[in-house]
Amino acid sequence: MKEKVSRRKFLGVSTATAAGAVAAAAVVAGIGGYLGGQAMAPPREVVKTETVPVTKRIKTGYIYVGPVGDFGWTHAHDLGRKWADQQFGNVESSYIESVPEAESAGAIENLIRQGADLVITTSFGFMDPTAEVAAKYPDKYFVHISGYRSGAAGNAPKNMSSAFAEFYQLYYLNGLAAGAVTETGVVGYVAAHPIPEVIRHINAFVLGANYSYKRRTGRNIKAYVNWLFSWFDPGKTRQAATALVEESNADVLAFTEDSPTTLQVAEEYTTQKGRRVWSFSHYGDMRQYGPNAHLTGQIVHWGPIYLEFYRMVATGTWQSVDIWTRIGDYMPFRWRQPVDKSTMGNVDGTLQMAPLAPQVPSEWQQLIKARYEEMKELLFEPFSVEGNDGVPIRDQAGEARISGNQRADRDMLWNMNWFVEYIESELPKV
Amino acid sequence: MRLPRGIRIERRLELPRRTSAALSAVFILLSFLVASAVFEMMGVNSVRTLSTVVSVFLSPPSLLQAVQRGLPIGLAALGLSIAFRMNFWNIGAEGQIYMGMFAATGMVLIHAYYGLIPEPLLMLSMVLAAFIVGGAYCLLPGFLRGRLDVNEILPTLMLNYVATLFVDFLVYGPWRDPQGFSFPLSIPFPQYARMDSFLGHSSYLGLLIMVVIAFLVYGLMQRTTLGFEMRVVGQNLEAARYAGISIFRTLLIGSFIAGGLAGIGGFTLVSGLIGRLRPRASPGYGYTAIIVAFLAGLNPWLIIPAAVFFGGLLVAGETIQAALNLPFAAVQVFQAIIFIMIIVAEFIKRYRVSIRI
Repeated sequence: MKEKVSRRKFLGVSTATAAGAVAAAAVVAGIGGYLGGQAMAPPREVVKTETVPVTKRIKTGYIYVGPVGDFGWTHAHDLGRKWADQQFGNVESSYIESVPEAESAGAIENLIRQGADLVITTSFGFMDPTAEVAAKYPDKYFVHISGYRSGAAGNAPKNMSSAFAEFYQLYYLNGLAAGAVTETGVVGYVAAHPIPEVIRHINAFVLGANYSYKRRTGRNIKAYVNWLFSWFDPGKTRQAATALVEESNADVLAFTEDSPTTLQVAEEYTTQKGRRVWSFSHYGDMRQYGPNAHLTGQIVHWGPIYLEFYRMVATGTWQSVDIWTRIGDYMPFRWRQPVDKSTMGNVDGTLQMAPLAPQVPSEWQQLIKARYEEMKELLFEPFSVEGNDGVPIRDQAGEARISGNQRADRDMLWNMNWFVEYIESELPKV
Repeated sequence: MRLPRGIRIERRLELPRRTSAALSAVFILLSFLVASAVFEMMGVNSVRTLSTVVSVFLSPPSLLQAVQRGLPIGLAALGLSIAFRMNFWNIGAEGQIYMGMFAATGMVLIHAYYGLIPEPLLMLSMVLAAFIVGGAYCLLPGFLRGRLDVNEILPTLMLNYVATLFVDFLVYGPWRDPQGFSFPLSIPFPQYARMDSFLGHSSYLGLLIMVVIAFLVYGLMQRTTLGFEMRVVGQNLEAARYAGISIFRTLLIGSFIAGGLAGIGGFTLVSGLIGRLRPRASPGYGYTAIIVAFLAGLNPWLIIPAAVFFGGLLVAGETIQAALNLPFAAVQVFQAIIFIMIIVAEFIKRYRVSIRI
């Protein structure tokens, strides 16, 4: 016992000595360096200064709905977290994964108890709990991904922001590629839940596919949708994707589900079953899961959004915002470029259109790039008459939803509960 | 079942209560030891990890969280303690929780849209509705068992999926919040329909409800003729028949109460934890309740600490992820080790294993 205490004391003393020595050395070296710098610096030359930390060290916590290894939604958020951490440097981040929605309020409070200054919750179902906890801790900051409640929108406390990286433009461009390669004239979509976000993506994809297919053949595209009622269900996805190929004769499969299963199914058809079927990357780069069936895709980079919130919290310049990024947002240079200099295919702000398969005919590659560039300045809108090759966009009942020079506005995009006329499947009754 | 030669398994007589409790405690400690070994193998400091787990039960805010998550589990387990004593193997607490959530939300909607229930009575009506609808949902398998001698395990299990999909249908369809951008959510509950309107945290009211119900369940099972009849039905059907007990009636009442209590668990989930109805709202609490009921030896008083213990494990799972950067898979391994040890302890309590060569 005695021995232990003395040893501990010894360690303490030696640590203190060592620390003292390091500090003293640093002071000496600092003064020396300063004087040396003064002496050696030629006049009028700018002296390189050390960066003075004006920001405080922050702690951030993330709540994930799935496992970080899902290769889809949560994986993308975790990559964003790592990127923002690395860029920012002076931050310590942690996360809780696979949080059920019923338990999310407790999990958020748990992160606050661990000392988090900023909590980022990354699933729609976490919206209300985030707002509730935000009201309880007015001196902490909260960001909710993919919802509609924020201080800026006026339906949540001021210390809560909302953010989302929106895909409908990319889905439209993916649709253009799909319509350019389909042989059967049928495209399929494996869809998670019939909510506006997913419906908007399906419609955008089908509009794009119809545009290029109609230009090619003069006929309208046919589209079928199979619902999963789940965000992550590889087993059900396999069934749904197979049914789209076998029963509906689709040869391009888009999807909203957090695994690469649909792409794997397409790959199996293409390489093993002698049937050309295309699919996409969704949220993450999934090319390794279907190198022969990968047409293009939608990839997200959450990092720049997270970094912005880190900066706000660290510098005390918080402002509640409602961020909804499209092509152009967070891009260092967001002006339209000529087609041959298009940045399509690169990481661009928060979004990335996955590289186009070389089988897409070059005139369609050109058009896709041109549209991509136009969208940087929001010059082209998929949900417009122009996006539908000059004719009004009609729903399945034949009612014109967009005509003349109308473009979809926020309310239409956020509340979309109708299918475009080219979709054969019914929208689940609401 | 065929066993290797020399190993024999035989049923034990009832163990003394103290021995049984001691066995449970020993196995929970053992599970902590095994978990430490696993953590060490992963290169994680097991002492720090386990002390983080223990700290959840010592700090008031996280203990409140533990109680809150233990509420649906504990209430469903209280119902199961009745069912299992009747030898009625209800695997359907999950579905009954969903029906309870459906009924409680229904009351809020009736109040919000038609103004039929006065504000002060709303919460009470939600509890009652959850009890009645959850109970009614368990009547069907009870009826099938009592009248047609259909084993209850499959019907109760499969009705879980029916209940989940029924709630899906409501929130995707007629009960969808008109201001909710078409997302599958009911309208948010008003503050007076939330359990945290009482003393600021839903755990207080929830604990009160749990204690009152544990008291009622204890009284029912130990002090009333009906409870006696239920126990006889569970222990010896022939004896029950001989004694002139109406097995059908007993089964119906018992399964109704069991389902009803799980329904109240559903009420605590929407009113306490979430504040609105949403698809897939219960992350399997009805299944966890089965383990809790057994850990407590079907004793209603012990179910409360057992449920809080399991609620605490859920909170601890988050804490060790956030504080120690452990992946969720490690948390699952940890929780699974505890589950397995509890099941092993139950087995040893019931059976004697002897090896003779």
